[in-house]
Amino acid sequence: MEYRLNRDVHSFLDPRTKLLLLFTSSVFVVGNAGEKWMFVFYWILVYLPVLLLFIEKEWKAGLISIAIYVGSYFAQTALQNDLTAIESVLALMLYIITKILPTVILARYIVKTTKVSEFLAAMNRMHVTDKLTIPISVIFRFFPTVAEESRAINNAMRMRGIEMGAKKSTEAVEYRMVPLIASCSIIGEELSAAAMTRGLDVGKRRSCIWKIRFGIFDWIIITLCVTCFIWWGIGRFFI
Amino acid sequence: MIFFDNVSYQYTERQESLKEINLTVNDGEVVLVCGPSGCGKSTLVRCVNGLIPHFYQGILTGQVTVGGKDVSTTTLRKISRHVGTVFQNPRSQFFNVDTTSELAFGCENFGIAPEEIEQRINTVVNKHDMGHLMDRSIFKLSGGEKQKIACASIAVEPVDIIVLDEPSANLDYKGICELQKMIASWKEEGKTILIAEHRISYLFPYITRALLMNDGRIVKEYTSKEISSMPEDKLHELGLRAEKMTDPSDIKISVCDHTGQEKLILSDMKYSYKGEKPIFDIPRLEIPSGEIIGIVGANGAGKSTFLRCLCGMERTCKATLTVGSERWNNKMRRRNIYMVMQDVNHQLFTDSVLEEVMISQDEENKEEALEILEALDLREYADKHPLALSGGQKQRVAVASAIASGRSIILFDEPTSGLDYEHMLQVSRLLKQLQEKGKTVIIVTHDIELLRNACTVTIKFDNEMYRTDARM
Repeated sequence: MEYRLNRDVHSFLDPRTKLLLLFTSSVFVVGNAGEKWMFVFYWILVYLPVLLLFIEKEWKAGLISIAIYVGSYFAQTALQNDLTAIESVLALMLYIITKILPTVILARYIVKTTKVSEFLAAMNRMHVTDKLTIPISVIFRFFPTVAEESRAINNAMRMRGIEMGAKKSTEAVEYRMVPLIASCSIIGEELSAAAMTRGLDVGKRRSCIWKIRFGIFDWIIITLCVTCFIWWGIGRFFI
Repeated sequence: MIFFDNVSYQYTERQESLKEINLTVNDGEVVLVCGPSGCGKSTLVRCVNGLIPHFYQGILTGQVTVGGKDVSTTTLRKISRHVGTVFQNPRSQFFNVDTTSELAFGCENFGIAPEEIEQRINTVVNKHDMGHLMDRSIFKLSGGEKQKIACASIAVEPVDIIVLDEPSANLDYKGICELQKMIASWKEEGKTILIAEHRISYLFPYITRALLMNDGRIVKEYTSKEISSMPEDKLHELGLRAEKMTDPSDIKISVCDHTGQEKLILSDMKYSYKGEKPIFDIPRLEIPSGEIIGIVGANGAGKSTFLRCLCGMERTCKATLTVGSERWNNKMRRRNIYMVMQDVNHQLFTDSVLEEVMISQDEENKEEALEILEALDLREYADKHPLALSGGQKQRVAVASAIASGRSIILFDEPTSGLDYEHMLQVSRLLKQLQEKGKTVIIVTHDIELLRNACTVTIKFDNEMYRTDARM
C-alpha cells in the first residue's frame, strides 16, 4: 500500500493555546488568584484537563485523576478541626495535591500530545528566541527517556534484591539516582551531537511540515483564558 | 569528495587518537574503515561530519576537506547540509518523539519548503516499504526499527555524503538485512559512503575498498575482493569479526548427549503483552545444568523477554523452574537467578567497584569480595567508580557481583553486542570461568561467533518451537 504523508494532522489544540491554558491554570488553580471571586472559573480550570484526557480517549488516566482529586478534596475537607500533628501534615499534603494535580495533568497532556516540531514552529511564530525554545523542546523527549531508563534500573534493583523493605532500603533512592543521572547525561550528550549533525542550530530559520493553525476549540479555550484574566482584573481593581 | 591531508587528532579526555591520516575518498565510493575497538575509526568518521573539531574537545592538526570545504572553518550546520550521519546507538539519535517528524527534522532545520519535505518523505517511505513505521512513538520501536528510522531520516535529507559509525552494533540478523538494503540504495543513488565497522562481512557486496586502522593510523588498504576473500583466521588476527551473515533460523542443531546430567526443568511459561497473542508458550523445557546455554532464534521470538521472565522480573509471567528438589516461583527465581543486562549501566549503583560486589553478598565479606575481583582482573579498580570504567570492565564488575551473590544460574542478554573479536573472546573466557565455578550460564545472543566459541548447549526459538540440542 502506498504511503502518503498527511501534513494536516494536528492535535486537538494548538501548542500556543496549550501554553496559554497552562499559564492560566498555574495562576488560578495553583496560585489561587482571585480566590472566591474566581469560583466558577476555578472549577472549570480544575476539570478541563480531565476533559482533555477524555477527548484523547485516555479513559483510564482520566478516571484515575478524578478519583484522586475527589478523594483528596473530601479527605481534606473532613480534616478541618482539632487536628493532631500527623493529621495536619496529612491535610496539608492533600491540600497541595488538590492544588497542583489539575495542572500536573494538564502538563502531562501537553507533553504527550505535542510534537516537538509543532512546538518549535509555534514558538517561532510568536517570535520567541531559539535560545529558549530549543532547550525547552528537549523536555518532550526527556520524560519518556527518564521513564524508560528508570524502568530498566528498577528491574535491575529488584533482581539484585535491593528494594524498599528489603536489604539496603535506605540507600535504595541513592542507588536509583546514580545510574539514572549517568545514563541520562550520556544520552543527552549523544543526542546533542546527533541533532547538530542534522543541522539544528540557534538563530536559523526552520520550516515545519505540520500545519499549525488555530481552530474553533482553540478560540474557545483562548476566550476562556482571557475571560479569566479580565474577570479577575475586574474583581481586583474595580470592586 | 573527502580529503584528509596529514590529519592528527588527540582528544583531551580520551586515549584514542588519529595519527597522520592521508586519505582521499572520491565521489560515489563506498569505503569501509575497519579495525579493533579504539583504533580510531570512529574518530575518523567524526572528522568528516564535523563533530571534530566543533563538538568534541581536542587538538586537530592538518586539514580535512569535505565537498571542497575546510571542515574546521565551516560551521556544523553548513557541513550537515552535505554530510548525513547514522550513529551506533539508535536510542540516542532522535530529537523528536514521533517517527514522521524525525524523518522531516533535518530538512526542517535547513528551512526546506514543507511541500518538498512531504515529497521526499513519501519517496523514501515507499521505497523502503516502511509505512507501518510512520506516525509511531520512537519509544515503542524495536532497536532494528529505530535504526531503520535513523537511516531513513538521513535518506530524506538532500546530502551527498553519508557516514555511518558502527551502525550494526545493536542489530540482529533482520536489522542488518534492512541496513544492507539502505546502503545498497544509497550506493545506487551515487552517494559517497564511509562506514566504520568491525563486523564487516555484511558490507562486502557494496564496498569499493577497505581501510584497516590500528592505533590511530591507516595501516593497510584492501580492495573489496581482497578483504572479502580473506580467510577467517586472518580477519581474527586483524581484530575483525569474521562471522558470515547467518539467518538464526538456519542454525543447525546437532544433538549432544547429556543423559544422566542434573537438569533444570522449566514448565508452564507463557507470556503475552496485554491483549495480544502470547509471544511464547513453553509447556516444558529441560536445560542441563552446569553448561553454557546459548539461546538463538529469529527476531521477535521473544528471547530477551524470555530472560526477563526466567529471572522473575515480569510479574505477569507465571512459570515454575524445578532445580533439584526445589520448585522456584517468580519470587524465588528473582532471588536465585542473576541477570547481566545488555546495558550494564543500568545495574551498577554504588560509588566503588568493591562496594558494588559487597552489596551482592548475603553477608558482607571484604576478603572474599577482593578475591572475586582478583580473579576477574579487577583488583586494581576496587576503589574506582564503576561508571568510570570501560564497557568491558563494567560488564566484568556485573559478573563479579553475580558471583558474589552466590546464585547458581546466571543469565546474559546479548553480552557481546558491538564488541570486536578480541573483546568477544574475553567475554567467552569469562563465561567459561563461570562454568568452571559450577554455574549454569544462559545467554541470549545473535553473535554466531560467541555461540561457536563458548556455548555447549544451544536452544533454538523458532516458530513457537523450543528445541534444544541436549538429549537428556
